[in-house]
Amino acid sequence: MTVFLQSLVLGLLLGGVYALAASGLTLIFGVMKVINIAHGAFLVLASFITYTLWDVVGIDPLLAIVITTPLVFAIGWATYKVVVSPIRSAPMASTVLLTFGLALVLEGAMGEIWGNNSTAIRPSYADESFTIGGIFLPKAQVFGGLIAVAVLVVLWIVLTRTWLGRAIRAAASNPSSAQLVGIRTASVAALVFAIGIAAAGAGGAITGVLYPFVPGSHYQWIARLLAIVVLGGLGSLNGAVLGAILFGLAEVFTSTYVSPSWATAVPYAIVFAVLLIRPQGLLGTRLREDAVAA
Amino acid sequence: MVHTSRGGRRSLMAAAVTGVLVTSLAACGGDDGGGGGSDDPIVIGSSLPLTGEFSQPGQAAEQGYKVWQEMVNADGGLLGRQVELVIKDDASNQNTIVTDYNALISQDRVDLLLGTFSSLLNLPASAVAERNQMLYVEPAGGSPDMFNRGFEYLFFAQQSTADKQGKVFAEWVAQLPEGEIPETAAYPTLDDPFAAPNVAGIQAMLEEAGVETVYEETYAIDTKNFDTIVSAMKNADPDLVVHGAQFEDGIGMTRAMLKADFTPDMFFQTNAPSFGSQFTEGIGEDNTEGVFYAVSHSPDADTPGNAEFVAKYEEMYGGGEVPEDAADAYAAAEVLQAAVEAVGSIDDQQALADWLHENEVETILGPLSWDETGAPQGDFLIGQWQDGAPQIVLPEDAATAEITRNWTPGGAG
Repeated sequence: MTVFLQSLVLGLLLGGVYALAASGLTLIFGVMKVINIAHGAFLVLASFITYTLWDVVGIDPLLAIVITTPLVFAIGWATYKVVVSPIRSAPMASTVLLTFGLALVLEGAMGEIWGNNSTAIRPSYADESFTIGGIFLPKAQVFGGLIAVAVLVVLWIVLTRTWLGRAIRAAASNPSSAQLVGIRTASVAALVFAIGIAAAGAGGAITGVLYPFVPGSHYQWIARLLAIVVLGGLGSLNGAVLGAILFGLAEVFTSTYVSPSWATAVPYAIVFAVLLIRPQGLLGTRLREDAVAA
Repeated sequence: MVHTSRGGRRSLMAAAVTGVLVTSLAACGGDDGGGGGSDDPIVIGSSLPLTGEFSQPGQAAEQGYKVWQEMVNADGGLLGRQVELVIKDDASNQNTIVTDYNALISQDRVDLLLGTFSSLLNLPASAVAERNQMLYVEPAGGSPDMFNRGFEYLFFAQQSTADKQGKVFAEWVAQLPEGEIPETAAYPTLDDPFAAPNVAGIQAMLEEAGVETVYEETYAIDTKNFDTIVSAMKNADPDLVVHGAQFEDGIGMTRAMLKADFTPDMFFQTNAPSFGSQFTEGIGEDNTEGVFYAVSHSPDADTPGNAEFVAKYEEMYGGGEVPEDAADAYAAAEVLQAAVEAVGSIDDQQALADWLHENEVETILGPLSWDETGAPQGDFLIGQWQDGAPQIVLPEDAATAEITRNWTPGGAG
């Protein structure tokens, strides 16, 4: 029973961080229909920024989220204006190519700035745990998981309880009608892209504390994040959270009860199985086509 | 909030396929020109993982090659000709490494080849060299699988293959007196052609010595989360952990062990502990105390040319420490140089390979010699972290410090 509870707790903590990192990816797709292959690279960029704030300035890496997130938000905004906006109406394949190129540029830039050496952020609590009834709870995972939940709740409130959130959802479901009622969809898109990247930024600050990273680590992250948002349903924030938690639990329970060698493969097999039954993902819905042809 | 139509899914599929194609194409290198007439430089080609997951050792290997180039050119060159290196970046990708070595041979028309880093990449790269009947001396690919393919042109420029790199450590553990010899051991390892045989070699020797195996698992190469593996190991409560790792997973596993307050009496880890200050930064200097590892090079070793190599490295790349991977790359170039100088020509690659099969080469790692498969015939050094510094503790004639038995991590910070 202890082993089961230990795995459950570790899986939930892992899923919480995955959820934060994946939320931005699904948000960007939801509003803009852009599959942002550079999402993992922005996450690693945030890890490097957090590392600098911790190593040079001495700011606690998890508290540094209040600096990292706005900074990455601004980078996201600028990236949208300069790089993404010009090809927004291009076919989806073009945006995949563009964001893949962006990921390579970011990887190269990070290598130039921080070097290609493995980097680790180790605050004083990084290797410590709480122990409750024989179950250990790594402090960094607990703090990171709580911050991830807090950021996700704020994001959810913004999307569901504010005018901005309604505008974003309107722009996502029917851009033409949204424009008719006065929503500036271009501005909303820029804002959503920046918010999405900022969410990756907050996730990157946390994952930087949990795992060592190099500029090339983004390949591993984008593979996981894409699987999570496809599992949850592309564009669904709730789906991303559900998908992330299932993914985290699947990874941990596979490692515990099957074998660590299958821990990274089984979650993808689950994604595959779910999509066979429900192609739109767990909480995704089929894309609405405007009924009236031009 | 978002909906996916059949057409949308087709677009997604097209986008994914395009992404894969772009990934494959993006890593292709450009042309750099090759060697020609007898007064032209001798052009030596290599491809290294300068970016991607293996970028850390790949960049160190590049430094080693460049130190050798500087030194050999300053000394009048090879066969009286200057040496020019053409180094491509394979981005730690097995497909790209094949493209790169094919391009080095057919487009750049290099005169000689040097190997890449890691068994994972050297496995396909050496096959390209063998197919083209070119000598292939590689600095970091010790998997036994490298040497069971009947290759004639392949040589590994370290002391032993991966399955024997922990041999000296296992022999030392096996001869410990009763009461000190660990009764149980755990063997987690990365699914990697270098790490897994390394651990398997130690495990076989320790089981023969009566050390009971209480945990053995292999984990996938993209594993990030080690908490559950550590949780299972902690439940098995071994006296000794032998961990087969590359760098990042080595750091990740050790940190997970510390978080779980799982600190076995003895801890041996492949690869990561040989990374000097990056290892101490990764897990905390206090936590390195007593960690064992196998290593090919010691900056303090009294081997031919070692002091000169270390001095030149520090001149070119700054003082402090010399990465093992830079030394291994330098040694690979020394092996190539020895063969070329002995044969007196670069035209007959078969003669170069034949000479290496029949002779021993003095390198900064010590003397290297090979069997008919290109596998080296020596023993690795065993290192141990003591007082925040790496020391050589075995074999005794190469030791820079007395060996201590236990891993005694001092906590975070």
